[in-house]
Amino acid sequence: MLGYGLRRLLEAILVLWLAATLTFVAMQLTPGDPAQTLLAASGASPAEIARRRAQLGLDDPLPVQYVRYLADLARGDLGVSWLHSRSVGRMILEQLPATAELALAATAFGTLLGVALGLLAALYRETWVDALATGLAVLGLSTPVFWSGLLAMLFFSLYLGWFPSAGGGDLRHLVLPAAVLGFSLSGSVARLVRAQVVEVLRQPFVLAALARGLPLRRILLFHVLRPAIGPAVTVIALQLGFLLSGAVVTESVFARQGLGRLAVQAIFWRDLPVVRGMVLVGAAAYLLTSLLADLLQAWLDPRLRGRDEG
Amino acid sequence: MRRLLIFLLLVVALATGCTPRPGGRIVYGLTLAPSGIDPHINASSELGIPLTSVYDTLVYQDPKTGEFVPGLARQWEVSEDGRVYTFYLRRGVKFHDGTPFNAEAVRFNLERITNPDLASQKARFMLGPYERTEVVDEYTVRIVLKEPFAPLLDSLSQVYLAMASPTAVQKWGNEYQLHQVGTGPFVFVEYIPGARLLLRRNPDYAWGPPVYQHKTAQLEEIEFRFFTDPATRSPALESGEADVMGEIPPQDAARLRGNPDFRIEPVAIPGVSLMLFMNTNRPPLDDLRVRQAILFGTDRRAIISAVFRDTSPMACGPLTAVTFGYNPRVCEFYPYNPDQAAALLEEAGWKDTDGDGVRDKAGQSLTLDFYLMGWGYLPEIGSLITDQWARLGVRVNSQKVSYPEALAIAKESRHHLMPFSLSSSDPDIMSRFFHSQGGFNWSKVNDPEMDGWLEEAARLSDRDRRADLYSKVQFRVMENALVIPIRDYVNLNGVNNRVQGLRFDAQGWFPWLIDVVLAQ
Repeated sequence: MLGYGLRRLLEAILVLWLAATLTFVAMQLTPGDPAQTLLAASGASPAEIARRRAQLGLDDPLPVQYVRYLADLARGDLGVSWLHSRSVGRMILEQLPATAELALAATAFGTLLGVALGLLAALYRETWVDALATGLAVLGLSTPVFWSGLLAMLFFSLYLGWFPSAGGGDLRHLVLPAAVLGFSLSGSVARLVRAQVVEVLRQPFVLAALARGLPLRRILLFHVLRPAIGPAVTVIALQLGFLLSGAVVTESVFARQGLGRLAVQAIFWRDLPVVRGMVLVGAAAYLLTSLLADLLQAWLDPRLRGRDEG
Repeated sequence: MRRLLIFLLLVVALATGCTPRPGGRIVYGLTLAPSGIDPHINASSELGIPLTSVYDTLVYQDPKTGEFVPGLARQWEVSEDGRVYTFYLRRGVKFHDGTPFNAEAVRFNLERITNPDLASQKARFMLGPYERTEVVDEYTVRIVLKEPFAPLLDSLSQVYLAMASPTAVQKWGNEYQLHQVGTGPFVFVEYIPGARLLLRRNPDYAWGPPVYQHKTAQLEEIEFRFFTDPATRSPALESGEADVMGEIPPQDAARLRGNPDFRIEPVAIPGVSLMLFMNTNRPPLDDLRVRQAILFGTDRRAIISAVFRDTSPMACGPLTAVTFGYNPRVCEFYPYNPDQAAALLEEAGWKDTDGDGVRDKAGQSLTLDFYLMGWGYLPEIGSLITDQWARLGVRVNSQKVSYPEALAIAKESRHHLMPFSLSSSDPDIMSRFFHSQGGFNWSKVNDPEMDGWLEEAARLSDRDRRADLYSKVQFRVMENALVIPIRDYVNLNGVNNRVQGLRFDAQGWFPWLIDVVLAQ
C-alpha cells in the first residue's frame, strides 16, 4: 500500500512537471510580446515597453526563465498577475468555488441523465424508446454549449421565467448552467452505459438472477448497473478537461463567476503567472479526479481491487 | 388633526407617485470582466463605468462644450511656458474613510501612478512628460512637466487619474483594488471578481462638479454584473436581470426599440474611428493609386447598414464626428465609386490578363493580406469587404488573429490591412497612429511634416490653433489614403424605462450615476 502511494505521488509530480513544461513551451511559441500587449494601447513609448519587458524578466535567456518558472512553482509561489497586479493564488481561490460548484453539479446531472438514458436505451433496445434516448444523447454530444445555453436561457428564463438568466449565488442560479453543461456531458455517458448494459444483460448471471425470482428493480440496480457503470466512471473522470472548457462558455453565457473566464483572459493577455497557476490547478484537479475514479471503480468492481498492489 | 395629517401624506404620496423619487437600486450590466480594476494600474475601459462614481477628479470636462470645469480643484492656472499647472483645491473634502483630501493627497496619488514599481498600464502614460508634483501649501499643488502637454487637463478629468485615499492605498497594498476608497458620490462596498461589484450612496457628498445635476446620489445602491457574451445582454435586460446594459448588439437594439418597456440610448464615442490601416510599405499598397482605388471601391454605407443596422454613422476620416478637432470636410473624400476605382487600378497597371477574375501585373496577382481580430464585428466587415473587392478584381486573403498576434504582425510589417479603433476625448490620440514613431503606426507612414503638426498640436494650449493642425492631419491622412475609415463607434446602451437621468461623461463610456433616478 505504501509502494502504491509513493508511485501515485511520483506520477503526480511527473504530470505536474509535464503540464508546467508544456505550458511554458506553448506560451513561448504563441506569437505576441506580453509587455507590448499590456502597454501598446496606452501610448507607451518603445523604451517604456522595453523597460516593462525587463521588469517582467522576459529579457533573460529562456533556460533562466524556465528554471525560475519551475522554482517558483516548486515553492508554491504562484506570483503576481502581470495584468491584474494581484496575487495569482488569491485570484484563483476567489474563482475556484464557483467553478467547482458548477463542475460538480454538471457532473451529477450529466451522470444521472446519462445513466438513465443509457439504461432506458439498453432495456428497450431497438424500440422507439431507444431511438429517443440515443437521439437525446447524440444531441447532447453534438450541441455546443454556447448554443444550448442560449436556447435554455431564452426558453426557461425569458419565456417561462423559471430561473434567473444570469449571475450566481443561490441554487436557482446554478440550475440552468449545470443542466446545460450536464446535458452535453450526458451524451457520452449514455452511449457507454447503453453499450455496457447491453453487454451485461447477455451475461448468464442476469438470467440466473431472474430465474431465482429476484425483483427486476433489484437486478437492474445491483446486478446490471453496478458492473456496467464502472467504465462510465473513468469516462466521467476523463471529461474533466471538457468540463473546464465547457465551463468557460457556460460561465460566459450565464454571466457566472469562475476560473474559465480568468483562464481565457490570461491566455489572451499572455499573462504567464496566471496561466501557470491555472495549469497547476487543472493538473491537480485531474490527478484528484483520476484518483477518485480509481477508488470508485475498485469499490464498484471488486475484481479491480488489489490489482495495483501486485 | 391626525386624520388630516394622514390625508395630507396621501395627497403628497399621490402627487409624487408619478415622478422620480430618490432611493432604490439598479443592476448595471458591464460587458467585460475587467482585467483588474485599479484605475491607476489597469487600462480596461469597463473599470471606469463603476469607478467614475467612486472617485472625483481634479477637473471635469463638460461633454456639451468640451470645456474643463472645476472638480476637486476649484480653479487652476497654467504657466506661460505651459509646463507648470497650479491647482487650488477645494476645502472640506473627505475620502470615504475619513481621510482629508489635500495637496499632499494629490502628490501621493501622482507619485503612486508614476512609480515604476506600480507598473501602471495606462494612467502613467496619460501624464505625458510628467516631471514632479510640488505641495505649495495645504490646498495648493503644482504639477510640473518636462515640456508642454496639451492633453493634461483631459487626462486629469478621467477616472484613471482619480484621487484615491492615501490611507487606504497604504493599508491594502496589492489588494487595494478590492478595497477602493475615493471621495465620490458612491462608496465602493464590495467587489467579487467575475461576480459583482457593489456601490452604495455616499450621504456626505457635497463637492460635486457643476456638471452633476444633484448634490448627492439619488440611488441607494448599484450592483454591477458582467455580461461578456453579447447574445445574452438583451435577454438579461428583458428578463429584468439588469436595468442598464452597454454594447447591445445592433440587431438586438432594433428589437428592443419595439418594446415599450425599454429604450436604446446610443452614445457616440470620441476618438479614432474604426479604420483599416493600409500598409504603405508593402507592395502593392505602396502605390497611392492602388490605395485610393481601394477606398473608392469600398461601399462603406453597405457595411454600416448590413453590419451595424445604421446604428453607427459611417466614418469619413480618422477622427469620429464627436471628437474635438474633427473636420467634417473629410467626408468629401472617396465617395463610393467602383468605376473610378477600376480606372485607378488600370492606370496603376493592374489588369486581369489571364481572365481569372483577379487583376495581375508582371505575373503577380492583386492579393491583399487582411488580418482581422474578433471584436467590433470585424469578421462580418471582413467578409463584406472581401466580396466588394472581388468585384474590383482584388483578392483578399483574410485571417483572424488575436490582439497580441496582430501587434507582432504589424511590428514585422507583414500585413496589407489591419483594423483598429481607440476612444479618446483628445485628438492627440492621432499621434499614436499617424506619427512616424507612434505605437500604432500600422500604415507605416513617415511624413516629417505631419509629425511636426502632431507634435506642435500636443504642445499648444490654444484650442483653435490645435483644431487647425488636426484638420491638416486629417486631410493629409485621407489625401494619402492611409486608412479606410469604416464606422464611428457608438455604444448602444439598453435601458429599462424605469431608469431615468442616465448621462455620460465626455469620454462617452462613463455614466454619471449620481443623477440616475428610478421612475415609479
